[in-house]
Amino acid sequence: MNEPAATMLAKPKMQGVRERGPAATATMRKYGAGVALILLIIFSSLQSDRFLQVDNVLNVLRQISIVGVLALGMTFVIITAGIDLSVGSMLSVVVVYTADTVQTRGVFLGVIMALSLGCLLGLVNGLGVAIGRIQPFVMTLGMLAFAKGIALIFTEGQPVAITNDAFLAFGNGRTLGIPNPAIVFLVLLAVCMFVLRGTVFGRSVYAVGANEEAARLSGIPVRRVKCAVYVISGLMVGIAGILYASQLGVGTPVAGDGKELDAIAATVVGGTSLFGGVGTAGGTFVGAAILGVLSNILNLSGVSPYVQYLFRGGLIVAAVLLQRREGRGR
Amino acid sequence: MKISRKLAPVLVLVLLSATACSKASTVSSSGGGGSSDGSDKLAGSQTLQGYDSLPFKDILAMPEGDVKVAGKEKILLGFSQTCFNHPWRKAMLESVLAEVKRHPNVSVVTVDGNCDAAKQSNDIDDLMARGVDAIIMSPVESAGLAPAARRVMAKKMPLVLLDRDVPAEKTVFIGQSNVEMAYETAKKMIADMNGKGNIVEITGLSGSSPATDRSTGLKKALAEAPGMKLLAVGDGQWVREPAVKVMDDWLTKYPKIDAVFSHAEESSWGAMQAIKNAGRCNDNIKEYTHDGSAPGFKAVKEGQFQADGNYSPFIGDIGVRAALGALEGKPIDGAKAYSQPGSYLQLPNLPLVTAENADQWVPKGWGTFELTKNPCK
Repeated sequence: MNEPAATMLAKPKMQGVRERGPAATATMRKYGAGVALILLIIFSSLQSDRFLQVDNVLNVLRQISIVGVLALGMTFVIITAGIDLSVGSMLSVVVVYTADTVQTRGVFLGVIMALSLGCLLGLVNGLGVAIGRIQPFVMTLGMLAFAKGIALIFTEGQPVAITNDAFLAFGNGRTLGIPNPAIVFLVLLAVCMFVLRGTVFGRSVYAVGANEEAARLSGIPVRRVKCAVYVISGLMVGIAGILYASQLGVGTPVAGDGKELDAIAATVVGGTSLFGGVGTAGGTFVGAAILGVLSNILNLSGVSPYVQYLFRGGLIVAAVLLQRREGRGR
Repeated sequence: MKISRKLAPVLVLVLLSATACSKASTVSSSGGGGSSDGSDKLAGSQTLQGYDSLPFKDILAMPEGDVKVAGKEKILLGFSQTCFNHPWRKAMLESVLAEVKRHPNVSVVTVDGNCDAAKQSNDIDDLMARGVDAIIMSPVESAGLAPAARRVMAKKMPLVLLDRDVPAEKTVFIGQSNVEMAYETAKKMIADMNGKGNIVEITGLSGSSPATDRSTGLKKALAEAPGMKLLAVGDGQWVREPAVKVMDDWLTKYPKIDAVFSHAEESSWGAMQAIKNAGRCNDNIKEYTHDGSAPGFKAVKEGQFQADGNYSPFIGDIGVRAALGALEGKPIDGAKAYSQPGSYLQLPNLPLVTAENADQWVPKGWGTFELTKNPCK
């Protein structure tokens, strides 16, 4: 294990491709997704005159907030060359327990429940990956099934309705004209950007993903970092669970079905490499925005839901292709 | 480090076997060795208010008491359910158990297909291996379960299909018509709007057969009402969140929407949330929906839904009666040959639930969950 798998896999592909300066390629990695988003926005505003209305933009921000928050957690995990397939199922668990706690014990305990449950499930993933050395794919695949079981058993398949007005007002209310879930997402985005860029922990996350052995040799507590990123992902699930329950007023055991794939898509479209070591929280925001804007403009243009899947799939591949072209070899 | 590398696969095995164990125990507990205790547990809190509230109890009616089949003292039925991720599916199980309880020498083993055609196909083999006398199945999907159906029929065992059909030989397929139900709902909508208005449609999961059928019913009704305009169709996936998104976007696009035609109650609640978000509660956008849950009927009574298509899950009891009847060698009354192999027992359409009859139907709806708050109130 002298060289991480990422480098070994990436190298042969680099041959025969015109090399650009590392600064230029890094720039394109960083801004490729942004360019794609701007192009999509220009196209959308030409397509529909309602697209750039303030209310519509705020709608899109609110619509992407749940998946966006999940994707922020996913970014940490994927930068360490891991993956978290369980965020959707964990979201279902958090949502049903939160709904029930809010109903029976009030908002405060409901929020505590959401956050601690998210962290706890994330910790189990983290321990399995870091201490148990189970491959992240396998560990979180196990958690996916396990958490789904918990959600179904707890609810017996029945949705739990939330009638607490204060809690519902949070998810559906606005502060200074901006929907609260969007504010939560943007604040978390700022926090994640700071943590990844400006803290020792953030730099350790990149180091572990880029070259685990080198990170270990330079004294980074690799296991602790690996464990921590899954706890962060779990915490984000907890927050997303609060957003979900308070926006929709219901806890259902299918709340998170498929959300892990949306979160991974947003993260990858945002320029985070599945091989680890590369990615930014800002990029993930852009990725989530690209997917959100796409679905919005397709609805505004009256495109059939069947055809929307084609666009979605095409866009995911195209956005990543754009970044690879421009930023090959990172 | 090398040791832990070696340990990794062991841990994976432990994890996998743990999952496997939990799965196995679900199946055996639901089987309960011939008693129906485990199945009762799977059914959870009861929504069915006694045998008499079953809407189809008069179809293939059967007296209480032991069922006499030549050469058999006890009869064991196998019930293979799609999955238990939805209260509708649990309610169907309740109706199965309600019928089984009336016959002391009959018991049932329930297996959960986990919404996975391959798993359900294996479940059918497990049931046969277990020595059940007849199988009642509500298939995950049509084509995928055809081989399993053939294996059952090859053993000369009665096979009763509920709700979804399979293109293979079977004793009888028992189902309601989604097309006709949606058509009735759409007719009511068109009548309420005097044949003129702009509507949007929120479907169930794209590609699922009930969603396709409910769309067909709507299209059929719209074809007869040229004044109605279907502005847009979106995928609500039977649940709330996707419905909020599509409705958000439509409210941005369309200044005037008169009604939402939704395939599921949950999606209707999602649409209402979007209407609230857009500040258009005063537009008086009407809601026409389907599912037939007890809370849904309450919402009709309170005027939040204008109509709720009545697709009852309480058809399991008919399935049990059909299976027992087949074992006794009796013909299945009302079952007819149709375009598929085997016979079809089409259930009469239950009346559409509107403000006029909601009171009478609330106790017959499924689901014990609490009614969602109207976001506009």
